[in-house]
Amino acid sequence: MAPFCSTSHQCAGFFVNSGPLSAVGRRLLKGELMRTHRNFASTSCYRTILLVLLLLAGTALYSAPAAAAVADDTITIGVVLPTTGSESKPGQYQKEGIELAIKQINDAGGIMVKSKGKKYKINEIFYDDSTDSKKSASLVERAMSSDNAIAVLGGYSTALGTAESVMADRYKTPWITTGAGATAIFGKGYQYAFGSLSPVALIGTTSAEFLGSLVDQGKLKKGLKVAMVVENTDHGTDYVNGFNEWTSKHKGYFDVVMNEKFELGATDFSSILQKVKNSHADIFLSDAHLPDYITMQRQYLQNGLHHQMISYGARGPEVNARQALGAGTDYIFAGIWWSNKLPYPQAKKFATDYKAFTGHDVDSWYAAPAYDAMRILAQAIEKAGSLDKTAIRDALKKAELKDSVLPGQKLKFSANGQAEYPFVITQNKPDNKVDIVYPKDAATGDPVAPIPNR
Amino acid sequence: MSAVEYLDLLIKALLLAGVYAAMAVGMTVVYGVMKIVNLAHAGFLMLGAYFSFELFNRFHIDPVLGAVIALPVFFLFGMLVHWVLVRWLPKSDTPTLASLLLMFGFLLVLQNVGYAVWGNDDQSIFTPLTLSAVHLGDEISIPKVNLVVFAAAVFCMVVLQIVFHRSWFGRSMRALIQNPYAAQIVGVDDQRTSRLTFGLGTAFAGFAGALLGMLYSFSPDFGRPFLLRSFVIIVLGGLESVSGVALGAIVLAILETFSTVIPLPWYWHGWHTSYLPPSYQPVVPFVLLVLVLVIMPKGLAGMFNRKWKTA
Repeated sequence: MAPFCSTSHQCAGFFVNSGPLSAVGRRLLKGELMRTHRNFASTSCYRTILLVLLLLAGTALYSAPAAAAVADDTITIGVVLPTTGSESKPGQYQKEGIELAIKQINDAGGIMVKSKGKKYKINEIFYDDSTDSKKSASLVERAMSSDNAIAVLGGYSTALGTAESVMADRYKTPWITTGAGATAIFGKGYQYAFGSLSPVALIGTTSAEFLGSLVDQGKLKKGLKVAMVVENTDHGTDYVNGFNEWTSKHKGYFDVVMNEKFELGATDFSSILQKVKNSHADIFLSDAHLPDYITMQRQYLQNGLHHQMISYGARGPEVNARQALGAGTDYIFAGIWWSNKLPYPQAKKFATDYKAFTGHDVDSWYAAPAYDAMRILAQAIEKAGSLDKTAIRDALKKAELKDSVLPGQKLKFSANGQAEYPFVITQNKPDNKVDIVYPKDAATGDPVAPIPNR
Repeated sequence: MSAVEYLDLLIKALLLAGVYAAMAVGMTVVYGVMKIVNLAHAGFLMLGAYFSFELFNRFHIDPVLGAVIALPVFFLFGMLVHWVLVRWLPKSDTPTLASLLLMFGFLLVLQNVGYAVWGNDDQSIFTPLTLSAVHLGDEISIPKVNLVVFAAAVFCMVVLQIVFHRSWFGRSMRALIQNPYAAQIVGVDDQRTSRLTFGLGTAFAGFAGALLGMLYSFSPDFGRPFLLRSFVIIVLGGLESVSGVALGAIVLAILETFSTVIPLPWYWHGWHTSYLPPSYQPVVPFVLLVLVLVIMPKGLAGMFNRKWKTA
C-alpha cells in the first residue's frame, strides 16, 4: 500500500477496495468517489484557469519599473501617471512630455550637483496607476520609500493628484503634480507639494475676462444671462468660483441664471439641458471631461439648442471631439493651459522636439506642463547643489523657469506651491481650424461672437 | 415646465429606456439560465462598439448594419468563451463567488486587450444621423440615432420573446430557469443549452455595444458605467424575465430623467419642495436597487405575476 496515491483513481481504489463493503456498496461508493474526483478535477482546472487569468490581468495592469537599480552617477525620479484606464490618454501625453525633458537633460550631460562635484543623469522610474486613486497614492509612496526617488512627478486629474498629494509631506519628498489644477490640494499647507498647472479657477476667470472683452468690443451686449453646468468635482467648483469672482468684481456684465452640477460619466443630459433651455440663458458654460463634453454637446445639438457663446471649460479643441461631432464643435471656446499655436520660439521648438521624440504631433495641452515640471525640477536640483530633498524643496520654492513653453513664458510656484500663469482662450473654427483668440498678444485669429446658429 | 416639455422629456426617457434595455437583455439571459453575474458583459459591450467602429472605419459599413453583423460574430465568440472558460464553473442555483471572480478577471483581460489593440483614445462613430433629430414643433425633438437604438432594442426583445416561447431551445432555457434539476431529468442538455445561452447573451451584448457606439464616445474602459444600471434593470425586472427587462428599463429611465425636474416634497418645520440636483442623479439607480431588493425581491414582473395569479 502506497502512502500517497499518485492519482485520485488510486485514492478511490484504495478506500473502496480495502474497506469492509459489499460488492454493490463498493461499486456505488466507487462511482460516487469518481464523481467527486471529476468535480475536484474540474474545480482544480477552473482554479488554474482563474489563476492564469488573474495573473494575466494583473500583469497587464501593473507596470513594473524597467529597472530600479540606480548607478552612482544617476538620480532617481519617480513618475506616477495613468497610462491605462479612463485618464490614460492625458497620462500618456504627460509621460511623453516628462520623458522628452529627461532625454534632453541627459543628452546635455545631466544635472550638475555642486556638493558632489559631478553631473548626474536622471533615472526615471515609471508606474502606471491605471486611473485608480488608491493605487496612485500607494505607487507614489513606493517611489518615495522603496525606490528612494529624490522627487516624484505625476498625478493627472484632480482626483488622482489629491490622492497622491498626502505622500509628499509624509516622506518629505518633493512632489510636482503635472495634471491636478484644483486649488483644494494646495490649500492644506503641504510643504513638499507643487503643481505645474495654473489653478482651474483661473479658467473660469479668464473665460469671464474673454467674454467681458467681447462685451467691451461691442460684439456681445452687456447684462447677458449665463447658464453654468459643470461636473461635480473640485475642477467644476473652481471653474464656477473663478467665473463668479470676475463677475462679482465687474457688475453688470453677466447675470448667472443657472448653476448646476452633473456627475462624471453621465449617460443622459436630457433633463439638465431642458433646464438650460428653460433658463433662457444667452451664454452656455460647462466644465467637463472629454467623454462628458462629447455626450453633452451631441445631445445639446440634437435638442436644437443655441447660445451666443458656448464653452466646456478646458475642453474644446480635442481632435477626438471633432471626430465625434464634426462641425458640431465649431465655435466652442476653451480655456487651456497650453496651445501648439503659441507664438513663442521655445513653444515651437518644444512642439518640433516632441514630434521627433514621439512620432506624433503635440495636439493637446497635456504634455507641456509635464515637460516644464521636469525642467524646473532639474533647475531646482542644480540650484540646491545637493541631493538633499529638503534643499531641493527649498530651491523649488524659489525656482523660476524663464524659458517656459507655457503661456506667459515664465514658470514659478506661488506661496502655496501651485504655479500661476495665464490661460489662453482658443476657439474652434470651421474646417478643423483652431485659433488662439485671447489674450490679444498671443492671438492667431479673431473671436467669432456671437456664434452663428447652426 | 409646460406639458409639452414634459412630453418631450417623456419621449427622451423612453428612448433612453431603449438604450438601457438593449444593454441589459444579454446579461439577463445569462443570469436567468446560468445564474452567472456576467461582469464581462461590460467588456463585450466595449468589443461590440469597437467591432462596429472598425467595420465603419475600414469598410465604411453603416454602424446599424455593423450591429447586425455583430450578432452572429459575438454569438460564436460567446460560445467559444463558454467552451474555454465558463463551462468549468461549478453548477449552482445561486451566483457563486467563483463565477464573479472569473467574469471579473475576464473583463480585465478584455479591457487590456482593448488597450493593446486600440490604445487609450476616446473613439466615436460619426454618421449623418449623429446630430440629426426629428423636430415636432419648437419644443419636441427626437434624436434619430436614439430612435434607431430604440427600434433595435424592441427588435431584440421581440426576437428573444419568440425564441423563448416558440422554439425548443427557448423551452430548454425556460426549463433551466424554472428548475435546472427537473429540466435535466426530463432530458434537457444543460451544457448545450448553457453554451447557446451564453452565446446569445454575448451576441446581444455585442449588438448593444455596436449601437451604444453611435451614442457615446468609447475607450477600452467603456461599458462599466452601464454595468450598475444593468444590475438595477435585471433586479427590477425580476432577474429572469425578458418583459421584466423592458419594464425595468422604462422605470429606471423615467425615474432618472424626471427626478431632477419634478419638485420633490420634504418636511423640515413644515412642508417644502425642491428639485433633486442633477449631480445626485446617479443615486437614483442605487436607491432603486436597494428598495426593490427589500420590498419586492422578485422584481416588478414577479409582483405583477403574483397579482395576476391571485386575480
